[in-house]
Amino acid sequence: MNCLEFRRRLGSEPACSFEDFVAHRAECVHCAAAHARAEEFESRIRAAFNVAVPANLADRILLAQTTEARHERRGRRRGFAALMLAAAASIVVALVAVNRPRTEVPELAGMVVDHLREHVVGADRTGSPVPKQDVMDAFAARGVSLASVPDGVNYVHKCPAGPYNTVHMVMPERSGPVSVVYVADKRIAGQVDFSRDGMHGRQLPLGKGSLVMVASADADFDAIERVWKSAMGEAVATSEGFAVPVLQSPGPGAILAAP
Amino acid sequence: MKQDVDCKETATMPVYPPMSSRQNQFEALVRGHSTDLYRYAYWLCGQDALAQDLVQDTFLRAWRALDKLREVGAVKAWLITILRREHARLFERKSMPSDDIDDFDLPDPQATPERRTEESALRQAIAKLEPKYRDPLVLQVLGGFSCSEIAAQLGLGEAAVMTQLFRARQKLKGQLGLDDQAAEVSEL
Ligand SMILES: [Zn+2]
Ligand SMILES: [Zn+2]
Repeated sequence: MNCLEFRRRLGSEPACSFEDFVAHRAECVHCAAAHARAEEFESRIRAAFNVAVPANLADRILLAQTTEARHERRGRRRGFAALMLAAAASIVVALVAVNRPRTEVPELAGMVVDHLREHVVGADRTGSPVPKQDVMDAFAARGVSLASVPDGVNYVHKCPAGPYNTVHMVMPERSGPVSVVYVADKRIAGQVDFSRDGMHGRQLPLGKGSLVMVASADADFDAIERVWKSAMGEAVATSEGFAVPVLQSPGPGAILAAP
Repeated sequence: MKQDVDCKETATMPVYPPMSSRQNQFEALVRGHSTDLYRYAYWLCGQDALAQDLVQDTFLRAWRALDKLREVGAVKAWLITILRREHARLFERKSMPSDDIDDFDLPDPQATPERRTEESALRQAIAKLEPKYRDPLVLQVLGGFSCSEIAAQLGLGEAAVMTQLFRARQKLKGQLGLDDQAAEVSEL
């Protein structure tokens, strides 16, 4: 680099750290002096650019974001009903038959719902059942070996929900698609049903983890709960004794029948 | 229609960071970059209130699109890209050419020790620069971007960016009556 090239670079990029730029500065006294002047001017420019920033700017932004996030969770920005129609979303929820469904979403299910809101599985991806081995593998990756794989799992993916590891599935049922999420590393104490903004859900302990179901209707939750308890090798007491998987996978036409 | 787009986008990248870490990531983003972003916005639009709005809108967009942020190292460029887009959108809506801002509301140079006076003179000089000179300079000095990164941001060639940066400094010195340009040339 010669003096002219150095000065051009200096005028456009004084902080340049190119090797030949630095080398020229080291060997040319005049350019080194020009560089020192340029640096002095740069610090003045920087000071001029650094206008005062309004107090609490970051806090106000964070407040706006949490407010928006809350609104989104309430479905004001993206209605859950619309989401359910557009996507096959399913959450597994444990049913406390006696209690009316809670309007408050329990914490674990809330994380799952948050995940479903982010991870919208398109209807085009839930048209047919996935190979049972895929479901088996997804659970195995979460440290769970299934006794059997229920019919009618049309989507499976290993997903996070909050800090937890889950297997995220979609099961198209008669009442519409149900998001079925097995949270492998968190076992909740008992079953909770919830319902809010047209979304129904259930969370229940299952194996070493928990199962969360979310759908626009809760009609198939009992059946899904039974098949997954059976798949996990848990005895399922019903009025008929031990329940066996009863779900059939409906034809593709039935999958996104709007509730 | 919108849902459809969401489906496609999410379908290609089904794994997301856990919600809590997503919130943490966002908070770190805001705490780490809101100051620089505000200053950048201020020099882009010349108005405090507008700059604050731009920064807030930028972060809200960033929050919604956080999953698309892959490289943490590129976060500043990503935020500035969002902010520039927001700014352009705003001026499109107002059907006002963004080159037309000469009404900077500059900070009040109150209680002026010597340093202050000099600073406010420089601020006025910067405000008077045409945006085509000011923009790359702000990106370089505030953003710490290289000429090629600035070129990418502005959609210009690197040589053009270098020329504009050179002229921007010359113009500032000229306005401040710092005529060391002649001295430097005579040294050559
Ligand atoms: Zn030299
Ligand atoms: Zn998922």
